[in-house]
Amino acid sequence: MARTRLVRRSSLVGAVLLVILAAPSGSSQDRRVIRLTAERFTFSPSQVKVTRGTVIEFRLRSEDTNHGFRIVGSDENLIIPKRGRGEATVIFKADTPGRYTFECSKMCGAGHSFMRGEIIVQDQEPQP
Amino acid sequence: MLFLTAFLIAMLATGRLAAQSATAASDAPAQGQVSPSSVEELERRLRELAARVKELESADESKAPQETAADGKSTVAPGEVAEAPTPPREQPSDVSQTGPISGYMDFHLNRPEHQDPQLDFHRFVLLFNHSFTDRIRFIGELELEHALVEGLEESGELELEQAYLDFRVNRAFNLRAGVLLTPVGIINERHEPPSFHGVERPFVDTFIIPTTWFDAGAGIHGTFGAAWHYRAYVMAPLDATRITAEEGLAEARQKGFLSNVRNIATTARLEYGGLPGLTLGTSFWRGESGFNFPREGARVGVVEFDGRYHTGPFAIRGEFAQIFIDGAEGLNDLLQRSTGVNANIAEQMRGFYIEPSWRPLPKLPFDTALFVRYENFDTQFRMPPGVLPLKQFDRAAWVVGASYFPDPDIALKIDYSVIRNQSSLFSSVDSLNVGLGWWF
Repeated sequence: MARTRLVRRSSLVGAVLLVILAAPSGSSQDRRVIRLTAERFTFSPSQVKVTRGTVIEFRLRSEDTNHGFRIVGSDENLIIPKRGRGEATVIFKADTPGRYTFECSKMCGAGHSFMRGEIIVQDQEPQP
Repeated sequence: MLFLTAFLIAMLATGRLAAQSATAASDAPAQGQVSPSSVEELERRLRELAARVKELESADESKAPQETAADGKSTVAPGEVAEAPTPPREQPSDVSQTGPISGYMDFHLNRPEHQDPQLDFHRFVLLFNHSFTDRIRFIGELELEHALVEGLEESGELELEQAYLDFRVNRAFNLRAGVLLTPVGIINERHEPPSFHGVERPFVDTFIIPTTWFDAGAGIHGTFGAAWHYRAYVMAPLDATRITAEEGLAEARQKGFLSNVRNIATTARLEYGGLPGLTLGTSFWRGESGFNFPREGARVGVVEFDGRYHTGPFAIRGEFAQIFIDGAEGLNDLLQRSTGVNANIAEQMRGFYIEPSWRPLPKLPFDTALFVRYENFDTQFRMPPGVLPLKQFDRAAWVVGASYFPDPDIALKIDYSVIRNQSSLFSSVDSLNVGLGWWF
């Protein structure tokens, strides 16, 4: 009987420990989904502010032709599908504070070179 | 490079395999059989080499723009890049394959009332771009109009509409110099055929804002706040002596051809795009344009407002533009003395349009848009003292039509234009227009 009680208590303690260990820790990264629309010749929004540690999931959609999405300084460079052809997703880990420029990397028309935006990674919570 | 690397690895593998085979053969029993342990070793090394080749292929592909299928994901962190899945090669791709040259084309059939129909390859435009570095870029746009240039009247035109270097400093401040598009109106900087309705560009963007309006110049551009975009340039001015009563400023553009810059023009545009689907813009152009008669002078100003909005299948756009010519009286006197004809140039010209449109089947991959556009454009809006307006140039138009998009970059367009003017002597000509335009 005493042995059965001991086994039950041990099991309970083990289960509690497992739950504690499996729970997300306070230092885990926040995740934000940003829906970004590309249209000749702007990204909307063209400025994204996050705090350090945020994982941004960009969901990229076009209102017209193929656009490119390149984060300057990285090798990341992908094509945003044309209107009605779905979306592309890119995940940006905002680990280091700073300003990161993104731009259209596929010629999309006469004003192609205007298509730029930036990600601002701040130490503090961004002001609304 | 990839093939060379793969080739070298294959050669290395072949060599190592050959050596391994030779060793294995030498170590093999007299009957010439390979021992099972050697075969396993060879298979292990083959697997390692195959994995290495795959790794090199992935690294090479990540340098080019990845053709991301719908819902394809890619992960990136500062200084760290993860692979994005690419669609299997055997599957058809919706992504256009574009080489180093892009461009657009406009092929029209115009059938004016009581006249023979005409086929016209209206525009053949090529765009070039080159990045010297991430901060220095070149953009060029070369246009052939009406398919033929022979230097005679009624011939086409070969125009260098853009050729500039962009010096990128930061998001808010960048420099540019070369042949630039004047940043006035919706169409002048955004004229790819699938991006506007109607076979021909709006009349306001032809007779009031002389699209495509370009000239030599330099300036700054950038974005501030979340969604305010600006550009401000100094450019070569117009030649006021070539302004006409019927076509307004169209013939007055110097187009970067030995442009006279005795005086310079200033122009700027401010655009707001902070709300989903909405873009509001305003622009101006101002310049002393009387360099051919400096004693009198003629200062030309253009003020413009525009807006575009779309939500779901509905869209609407509108534009208002007004031209001011200080010194029109002296300009008319000068032109009458030199040509013997009163040029009837107005002190003010004005135009506006509004265009609602509807995509009835937005969920289908091949969508269609229906539109109607009302335009009012008057190149004789306010006349100098003593000069009567020519009423045939006070015009209004209804343009009704449809655009069919077999691909978002291809537009098959049809419209009917009804034009009316205020003259009791001259009638305007309606027209049926069919066009095929594409961007690549």
